[in-house]
Amino acid sequence: MNKRGAVKLTGVGKSFGQTSVLREVDLEIRPGEFFSLLGPSGSGKTTTLRIIAGLETASAGYVYLDDIDATLTPPGDRDVAMVFQSYALYPHMSVFDNIAFPLKMIRMPAAAIAIAVQEAAARVRIDHLLTRRPGQLSGGQQQRCALARAIVRKPALFLLDEPLSNLDAKLRVETRVELRRLQRALDVTTIYVTHDQEEAMSMSDRLAVFMDGRIVQIGTPEEVYGQPATVEVAAFLGNPPMNLLPTQLVNGIAIIGDARVATPHLSGLGQRDVVLGIRPSEVTLGNEGLAGTVTLCELLGDDMIVDLDVGGLLLRVKATGCERIAEGERVHAHFAVERLHVFDKASGTRVSI
Amino acid sequence: MRPGAALNAVRGGVLMLAAATLLTVWAVPVLLAVLTSLKNEKEVLAYPPSLLFEPTLKSFVTVLTGPTNILPNLTSSLIVAIGTTLLTIIIAVPAAYAFARLKLPGKKPAGFYVLATQLVPPIGLIIPYFLILNKIGWMDSYQGLIVVYLTFSLPFAIWLLVSYFEDIPREMEEAALLDRASRWQAFWHVVLPQARGAIAVTVTFVFLNAWNEFLFAVVLGGATVKPVTVAMYNYINTEQTLWAQLSAAALVAMFPVIVLGILAQKHIVSGLSAGAVKGTGRR
Repeated sequence: MNKRGAVKLTGVGKSFGQTSVLREVDLEIRPGEFFSLLGPSGSGKTTTLRIIAGLETASAGYVYLDDIDATLTPPGDRDVAMVFQSYALYPHMSVFDNIAFPLKMIRMPAAAIAIAVQEAAARVRIDHLLTRRPGQLSGGQQQRCALARAIVRKPALFLLDEPLSNLDAKLRVETRVELRRLQRALDVTTIYVTHDQEEAMSMSDRLAVFMDGRIVQIGTPEEVYGQPATVEVAAFLGNPPMNLLPTQLVNGIAIIGDARVATPHLSGLGQRDVVLGIRPSEVTLGNEGLAGTVTLCELLGDDMIVDLDVGGLLLRVKATGCERIAEGERVHAHFAVERLHVFDKASGTRVSI
Repeated sequence: MRPGAALNAVRGGVLMLAAATLLTVWAVPVLLAVLTSLKNEKEVLAYPPSLLFEPTLKSFVTVLTGPTNILPNLTSSLIVAIGTTLLTIIIAVPAAYAFARLKLPGKKPAGFYVLATQLVPPIGLIIPYFLILNKIGWMDSYQGLIVVYLTFSLPFAIWLLVSYFEDIPREMEEAALLDRASRWQAFWHVVLPQARGAIAVTVTFVFLNAWNEFLFAVVLGGATVKPVTVAMYNYINTEQTLWAQLSAAALVAMFPVIVLGILAQKHIVSGLSAGAVKGTGRR
């Protein structure tokens, strides 16, 4: 099958007056991919999506859809469908008419529209609600209606702008799975904007992490989580986020707070100011390692998060078990030094060892 | 009975009483007009006023079929009011949409201008309008009076509609654009249907103002353009005032307005609340 839905951005920038919200975005998305744009609010991910949709025009750079320059193509000619955060359903039309709208716009015959709407609605299980108005639907049903409107005309590209953010936590997790299954079944390139790292990690084939209007890292969830490119990415991903400890390296010895840890594999870096990162889940409490004082212990069920004060630095530990540790107790935290992530202190970028 | 329920009953009673008082204050002149219109001219002037009298529809028959009946004036009023309303809507809807959606340079001064038109006492404008219409030969013409009414109704209607259009989320149009609608189709299929309530409100206000207007009509009109308000005024003259006929004419003149009010009532209520609470009008 000739696959559609390749997206390429080169040097895309966007500024509103004097404020630049997006700078030098280069991105290549392969046909059929589930690609997430992840970042905190205001990082430029939604602007990027809107530029791909044609709802904003890039101030700099080019947008290619299936290798055709679409930088200035109007939204309707791009063969993309979008689900908005607010769903943007037409409140004065029935669910049927909402889903049928894109087909009516291309003057499809009424009989064919009826079949297509039925099929799309059945796919997202709202085919029993076709006569209702959007205002009479629950949040989850509205979201499905918006999805049905997007899939009904079989576009080359789906753009989803935080589609799950208005759902409650339980429904969000269910819909996540369903959305991924739907995308697999339809095999349509999907660009998914979210600020929820868990969503991005669990659903994406690949993702781009946005910070301050730039892409700081592109990769598979494993790559981005396992080898964050900068301190910011490291701090953004993971729950609880990675511990980041300002450290002085002196020929294979790491000076963390007032403790010294032997890090022979880092001796090649000589004397240098760095930030060492370690995931809370990779730290264990025991009788050896860094000495610290427990400042907080949060019970989560199967495991708990323990905050330690290690020579004035905060070290979070995700420990198994559910026996609360008293605050003020002295404990030791141990981790394998090979698991440490090393970032340059001045630039914040990852240091390859 | 719970104490809360008793309190609620008291509150309900007080509210009912207040509403009844207001309604009475509002209704007395109308009732008086109804009573007067059903009397003959002699009884109207009787003192003390007779509460018991033999009602007659003579005055109605006279104002509707007599030698100086008001039918031509009703037609005149209809032409002016409908003409003004239609032109206002045709121009104000796209203008308000543009104001709501586009970043226009003169947005703020334009807003002030709207306010200013509502502040100027109409009597101050009579002479300039008279001079202008006289110069271009539009005195006592429908186009003349309608154009003058437009100078008031347009800014008002645009100002009223802008806030409604601003309440319609932009994303809905964007969704329509992505669904291959043209800008015009997005406006027609998505924006306009949601503004129905607002347009009904505007139509009602503009029509009412044009229908009830007297000052400009009496000065700028004449033998050709003589709306019903001016015709009613003619029942009052130096020799005598035909109160019964005047009342009957007034009630007849109220009729179209009441019909419009009933037709638009549902829209007006939803339209007004849509402006007040963001989002509720979108249903």
